[in-house]
Amino acid sequence: MKKAVLTFVVASLVLATVIFDIITKPSDKNPMDFVFLGITVMIVGFAIFAGFRKAKSESRGEPAEDELSRKVMLKTSSASFYISLYLWLFIMYFSDKLNSEPHVFIASGILGMAVVFACCWLFYNFRGIRNE
Amino acid sequence: MNNRIKEFRARYNLTQDDLAKKVNVRRETIVFLEKNKYNPSLKLAYDIARVFDSNIEEIFFFE
Repeated sequence: MKKAVLTFVVASLVLATVIFDIITKPSDKNPMDFVFLGITVMIVGFAIFAGFRKAKSESRGEPAEDELSRKVMLKTSSASFYISLYLWLFIMYFSDKLNSEPHVFIASGILGMAVVFACCWLFYNFRGIRNE
Repeated sequence: MNNRIKEFRARYNLTQDDLAKKVNVRRETIVFLEKNKYNPSLKLAYDIARVFDSNIEEIFFFE
């Protein structure tokens, strides 16, 4: 139950930070803010989904992690790291072309990495790991 | 690699949940094994074979 609780705590902290940001920010909203907000909510939703799966396994008396889930996580980490390198390269290329503030590019990179990780996890989790 | 886990499970009247608990993995792992979407480690293959009182090669085989 410990790992599932930890996932929920991190997800709620991220959600609390986003809500705090919305409340305290001035009313002139940039369209990019809504894109970032949407992606953050999607990532939090993904974390809650993963947490519920762990909690469900534990409530059935099964381990929260087993050899398949560890392999999925290993494959996800290596694939998302590899893809993220290209993502940062892409962001660096566009940071030269567009005159936006550096924190926007850094935020895009971090959120992009989270999205890449979530997509890789979903891919390996539902496809399985065959003959490897 | 193919396997006959489903067939052995039916023979021993075990659900996926029961087998998962006996070999200490999640039920999803048994689902993936039965669909041939995952090749188990030697330890897991051995544990499954032991639950069914069989040899590994009776349950897991190459076509």
